Amino acid sequence: MRLKAAILMAVVLVATACGGQGGPTATQQATEADIDLTGPVAITLWHTQTGGNVKALQDMVDKFNASNGKQITVTLSYQGTYTQLYQKTLSAIQAGALPEVAVGYESFVADYQKADVVLNLDTYVNSKKNGLDKNSLDDIYKTYLDTVRFPQFSNQLLSFPFTKSLLIQYVNDDLLKEAGKSTPKTWDEFEAAARAVAKKGADGKPVRYGWAAPTSASTFNGWVLSRGGKLMADDNKTVAWNGKEGVDSLKLLDRLIRDQVAYVPKGFDYQTDFGTAKVAFVQESSTGRPFFVSSFKQPINWEISGLPQTDPGKAKTVQYGANIIIFKSTPEKQLAAWNFVKWFNEKDQTAEWAVKSSYMPVRKSAADTDALKTSWQKDVQGKQAFDLSGTAVPEPNVRGQQDIRTVIEDAITAVVNQKMTPEDAMKQAGDKANAILRDNQP
Amino acid sequence: MAAPAAAPRSRARVARRVRIAPIGKHLFLIVLAVLVAFPFYWMVTTAFKSFFEATQFPPTLVPQQWHFENFPAAWAAAPWGRYFANTLLIAAVVTVGELVTAVLAAYAFARMRFRGKGVIFVLFLATLMIPGEATLIPNFVLMSRRYLNLYDTYWAQILPFLATAFSIFLLRQFFLSVPNELQDAARMDGAGHLRFLWSVVLPISVPALVTVALITFLGAYNSFLWPLIVTSSADVRPVQIGMSQFRTENGSQYHLLMAAATLVIAPVVLLYLVAQRYLIQGVARSGIRG
Amino acid sequence: MPMAARTSSRRRRVVTEHLQAYAFLLPAALILFVFHFLPAFGAIYISLFRWDIVQGPFRGLDNYATVLAGARAQEFWLSLGTTFTYVLFTVPFEMAIALAIAYLLFGRLRGRGVYRAVYFLPYITATVAAAVVFTWLFNPTYGLFNSIVEAVGIGPQKWLDEPTGLFQLIGSSFGVSVPVWAAGPSLALIGVCLFTIWHFVGFQIVIFLAGLTNISNEYYEAARLDGANERQIFTKITLPLLSPTTFFVATIATIGALKAFNQVYVMTNGGPLDSTRVVGYEIFKTFFQQGRIDLGSAMAFILTGIILVFTLVQFRLAGRRVHYA
Repeated sequence: MRLKAAILMAVVLVATACGGQGGPTATQQATEADIDLTGPVAITLWHTQTGGNVKALQDMVDKFNASNGKQITVTLSYQGTYTQLYQKTLSAIQAGALPEVAVGYESFVADYQKADVVLNLDTYVNSKKNGLDKNSLDDIYKTYLDTVRFPQFSNQLLSFPFTKSLLIQYVNDDLLKEAGKSTPKTWDEFEAAARAVAKKGADGKPVRYGWAAPTSASTFNGWVLSRGGKLMADDNKTVAWNGKEGVDSLKLLDRLIRDQVAYVPKGFDYQTDFGTAKVAFVQESSTGRPFFVSSFKQPINWEISGLPQTDPGKAKTVQYGANIIIFKSTPEKQLAAWNFVKWFNEKDQTAEWAVKSSYMPVRKSAADTDALKTSWQKDVQGKQAFDLSGTAVPEPNVRGQQDIRTVIEDAITAVVNQKMTPEDAMKQAGDKANAILRDNQP
Repeated sequence: MAAPAAAPRSRARVARRVRIAPIGKHLFLIVLAVLVAFPFYWMVTTAFKSFFEATQFPPTLVPQQWHFENFPAAWAAAPWGRYFANTLLIAAVVTVGELVTAVLAAYAFARMRFRGKGVIFVLFLATLMIPGEATLIPNFVLMSRRYLNLYDTYWAQILPFLATAFSIFLLRQFFLSVPNELQDAARMDGAGHLRFLWSVVLPISVPALVTVALITFLGAYNSFLWPLIVTSSADVRPVQIGMSQFRTENGSQYHLLMAAATLVIAPVVLLYLVAQRYLIQGVARSGIRG
Repeated sequence: MPMAARTSSRRRRVVTEHLQAYAFLLPAALILFVFHFLPAFGAIYISLFRWDIVQGPFRGLDNYATVLAGARAQEFWLSLGTTFTYVLFTVPFEMAIALAIAYLLFGRLRGRGVYRAVYFLPYITATVAAAVVFTWLFNPTYGLFNSIVEAVGIGPQKWLDEPTGLFQLIGSSFGVSVPVWAAGPSLALIGVCLFTIWHFVGFQIVIFLAGLTNISNEYYEAARLDGANERQIFTKITLPLLSPTTFFVATIATIGALKAFNQVYVMTNGGPLDSTRVVGYEIFKTFFQQGRIDLGSAMAFILTGIILVFTLVQFRLAGRRVHYA
């Protein structure tokens, strides 16, 4: 076993070393994306999937290995949490021992690319021989490709969608009905509905809340977008979420928490709270669906809706999730990796992955697959979430965004703990975030 | 510090008349034991609960229904057999190796005279003071093909742990309190350092050696981050990675998580119970010596 | 002539002893050198450059200046303060509790083996699993601590999500407003401290027990013959003869607490509002969230320096108080 691993390792490393010098084979062809794969190619994919998703992913990889017809073998390797994967990748960059493929967030790509190790996929997407045609490209929701286009790195396409989801709203329709309200379309309607649902017991303590608001920078970004705001200035040098939309969002949260209509849940408790009808609204990732369902003690009438909006005609929310990064190696391995990534995002595969993992399918046409149609008969809310795909907007993918997320979350925590006014919290957070952006200019 | 003084005093006062004091002692120990062991108890019982019972408030102290199926569910989630075998192999080699290097070095620091002793000792100790984050990247580079070429092997998980300043320091403290008369007597008999170490120091240090072995084994058994970073295939990976992979990405499936945690901890509890016999044996032996 | 012969034979003995001692040290020294010192030199090298993912220009001691007096100084000193609070609220308590229990478990006592096993459980429990249990105990909605607290008549607490200082919380429950400087460590930090104490008490008990076992029975018997009572035996025999072990535990626990990272990472992630952000966490964040391995390395060596000073002071202080046989 060790021998096998050692040989594999040696092959990988020799290949990496050769690739680093930009082999002569690449220049003879039109581009290195247009070559033919001849011999067998083995590539490794570092991932972070746990629980049932591992099996689903492994099944799909096995299928690819058996059916790609080009002797490409993909090996999955679990690398802990995203932070641990980042730690390892950072080390691997120093050691020159990167895998061919790894999953990661946009902020990771922005960091890795300082070392110029991430493969620009434009060449591959545009390749006549191995790329995607216009129809196929247009079939992918624009937001998922926008998020992996990096303005700080001359707008290159660095990585491709992998585990995508949307910020949506979980709504308990029974509670709304009881309160005589319908699904809110605007933030004003939302506030009224949340207040109508909230209930206090005889001792004055809340027994039911309108809104569970987990502290999350992505959710905050969604609030800003839904109020018509922007997240970044056009030149990407300063943040824009610290304006009126940000302040209004925090004011609403502050108000409803003071009146005990809203609360900040711990961890994933909002799932259990929603499942036991202790709260009517949760704004969270669409991927949590199965966990919400598994916490239902009795059947609940519930739906997934978009976030409340200032202008429901121009609805917006954020999209989450990781992408799949191909590192520079040899033309053969790069092409093999691209073949896998392309295959994984084809109609049938993106549908299969969506069914098994509850992530979002990235293609519009996936809705036509039998797999998803069958799945949506049970998972009605999955379809409701999918129908919101067009409203999703990427979060900023600039360097420093990871730090800025902490700044945003600190601002929210300061407000909900009544340590700062929404205005002060936004001002301070905006200043901090802009300082981080200044420090991180590439 | 009030507690240790108070209990013996009360015992001294009444010990000859009635044996009430042990009851007080037991009471104190039981109350603390409940506090200390509670998280452990909570983990084991939660492992048998249903999802709903596990998230119920107020919580139940004893499962209303025993869900044994949580364990097969947890067991099915990862190649645990392989992981356990790897961990036991790595932990055993590390424990034996570290014991050897630590005994030798600690003996030198405690009972031999040589130039630079103080400085070398502080240098050894300094290895405990550097935060692991700082050396992680250089250590990874060291393991890569450019240098030792040990990435994704057992050796990468064993070699760095074959000596620690922790064990050396601990054993040094014990070896220092071996009476000088014993060393003088051994020298009179013409015994060199190795003989004195082997036939006098080691036998009377059994409790300390077992303690070091236990702590080393546990450290190796529980190590997670370094193996994760320095391996990539399940063939050589340890059990804590299985535990981590079991973690549910997005949910509060506490009952299954606790079942996995219980599975992982069980072998160590057994090992401690075995080791404890030797700890007590050590007590008996040092009693004979006295 | 005989004088010269004696000194030369003594010198030969000294040389042999030296060689033998170095031989004894060699295996450990080799491992420590390759896997601790070499990487540390690597990290020092990194800390002298701009190394933002990749190696940049040489910066001399600029990274150290940035941490100590520049853009990162405020965060760094704040986290250092939190670290000292953390050490103060963990190490003495761990040691006192562990020593008390070990002393009780050492005497003749029915069920000693069972107690010993139970008290060792926290240390056996893997940090990840233990942290899950604790974050759950502290859970504001579903946790056991709030059921207890409410049963006693105190309102529910936010525990690990509570950035407010402990004294301020106590003050405000009596309607007294406590000034900011006297707010004390946040309830969240206290929670992390409780977790730490719980986790390490079992570890220290085992070491104290080994130390107690190492004290020869002769001393106790002699003291009893002299008519010493239990208290005198404890203060005049046990404590002094246990001092090498106590010194070891104090040193190791202090080093560990000054470096603490894992406990904070699994419990609070440095929050809420940075109230649990110790230096170890700050270093981790700089390395593996910001990718600034240059500044992270500089911080790590500043912390190493602080720990080294602490340890040397401990050695100096202990020099006269630790009794070896």
